[in-house]
Amino acid sequence: MRSPRTKVAVVAAAVPAASVLAVLANAAPASAHGTMSDPPSRVYTCKNEGPEHPQSEACKAAVAVAGTQPFYDWNEVSLLDAGGRHRQLIPDGQLCSAGRAKYRGLDLQRADWPAKKVSPGPLTITYHATAPHAASNFDFYITREGWDPTQPLRWSDLVSLASFTRQNPTTFTNWTLTLPQRTGRHILYSTWQRVLGSNEAFYTCSDVDFGGANTPTPPTTPPTTPPTTPPTTPPTTPPTTPAPDGTWALGKAYTAGDKVTYNGASYECLQAHTAIAGWEPPNAGALWRAA
Amino acid sequence: MKYGALAVLAACALLLFARCGAAGGSPAAPAAARGGDGFNSTDVMYLQMMVPHEGQGVRLVRLARGHRVRPEISTLAAAIEATQLTEVRTMAARLRGWHRPPRASAHEHAGHGGMPQTTDAQLQALDRTPDDRFERAFLNLLIAHQDDAVQMARKESRGGEDASTRRLAESVDRSRSAQIARMLAILGPSSPTQSPTPTK
Repeated sequence: MRSPRTKVAVVAAAVPAASVLAVLANAAPASAHGTMSDPPSRVYTCKNEGPEHPQSEACKAAVAVAGTQPFYDWNEVSLLDAGGRHRQLIPDGQLCSAGRAKYRGLDLQRADWPAKKVSPGPLTITYHATAPHAASNFDFYITREGWDPTQPLRWSDLVSLASFTRQNPTTFTNWTLTLPQRTGRHILYSTWQRVLGSNEAFYTCSDVDFGGANTPTPPTTPPTTPPTTPPTTPPTTPPTTPAPDGTWALGKAYTAGDKVTYNGASYECLQAHTAIAGWEPPNAGALWRAA
Repeated sequence: MKYGALAVLAACALLLFARCGAAGGSPAAPAAARGGDGFNSTDVMYLQMMVPHEGQGVRLVRLARGHRVRPEISTLAAAIEATQLTEVRTMAARLRGWHRPPRASAHEHAGHGGMPQTTDAQLQALDRTPDDRFERAFLNLLIAHQDDAVQMARKESRGGEDASTRRLAESVDRSRSAQIARMLAILGPSSPTQSPTPTK
C-alpha cells in the first residue's frame, strides 16, 4: 500500500506547483471552452444561478438529478473526439448533454427552463468562449414549429438557421441569426466544431420563448436512426449470464479467494467487486491474479 | 525581456519535472509536445492528463470510507481505488520510459481539449456533505469524473499511436462506462420529466 500512496502524493504535490506555473506562463489559452451566453444555454443559466443554490425549478431539478459538478464545468459540454460526427455520437433525447452522463441534467424535458423572450426576425446572439480557438465552425438550429418541450429533443426536431465556418472567435463573439415564425417555447441549438488541431466539439441548448402556447404536432420526418455506438450509456445492468462453472461473468459479485477461468486461463480474486466490462481478469491486475 | 522571462519559466518547468521524475529515478526530459519512436504527442498528452486525473479519482473514491454508504457503493469505491492505483503506476512508468514528464504544462493542453479537473476544493466540499446527502453527491461527482475519463480515452483510442497506450485507453473507456452505468442504476431511475426529487 505504501508505494501507490506515495505515488499519488507525488502526483498531488505536483499539481499546485504546476498550476502556479500555468498562471505565470499564461501566454496561450489553456483550452478551447465555452457555451452560448445569450440566449443563455441551460448550463450557463444554472451556472449563473449558482450550482449550490439554483433559483429556477428547472435548475433545481437538474442539480437534484445529476449534482453540481456539471455546472462548475459549464464550459465543457463537449465531445473531445467528435470530428463532426455529432448525429452519430449523440442519441436523440440527449442532445443538450452531448450524450454525456455528467451533463444529463440538461436533458430534463420540462416546459419551465428559463427562456429568453424572442420574436421572429433578426436576433443577435453571443457565444462565451473562455478559451477561444481559431478556425472553428459554428452551426445554429431552432426547433421545428410544433415541437413539444416535454418530449425528448431529437435531431430531426432541429431546423438549420445558419452556419459560420472558419470562424476565429473571441471571448465573446456575436452573430446575427434570423429567427423564423414560431409559437411558444423552443430551443436554439448550436454546435461548435474545432477544425484545426482538435476534433473537439461543443454543444448548447438555449431555451427561447416566442410567446403563445406550443401546439405540439408529431414530427414530419421519421426519427433519426439510432446511433451505432451509444456514447456513455451502455446497458444499465450487465446481463448475468449463467456462465459455466467457474467462468468469469459480467455482473457477478466476487470476493477475495474466488477462482475463475477466463479465456482458458485461471485467476484468483484479490478484492471483492462486481464484475464489469473493463475489469476482465487480465485487464484488472488489482482485482485478479493468475492462479 | 519577454523571451528571457519565458526561458526562466521553462527552466522552472524543467526543475519541477525533474523533481517529479526523480521519484522514478529517471532524468527529466524537455517538455516536448512531440512524440517519439512508436508513440506520438497524443499518447504523451493522454498519459500526462490521466496521471493527475487518476490521482484525483483515487482521492475521490477514498472519501466513501469516512461516510455512511451502502455496501455496494463502498465495494465499488474500493475496487475503483485499487484498479486506478494500478493504472496510474503503469501510466507513470510508461512516461518515465519515454523520458517525458508526468504532467504537461497547462498551455500544452490547448490542442488536447483542456484538462478536466476534480479539484481539492470540490473534494473537500463533498467530504463536508452530511451523511443523508453524501451518497448521492458522491455518486454524481464520481460519474462526472469518470465521464471526463471516457472523453480523454476516446481521444487517445483514435489519435494515439502506441498500441499498449491505446489498449489501456480502451480499457479505461470500457471500465468507466460500465462504472457510470452501475452508478446510474444505483441512483435509480430519474425520469427526465419528473419534477425535482428532494435528495435524501
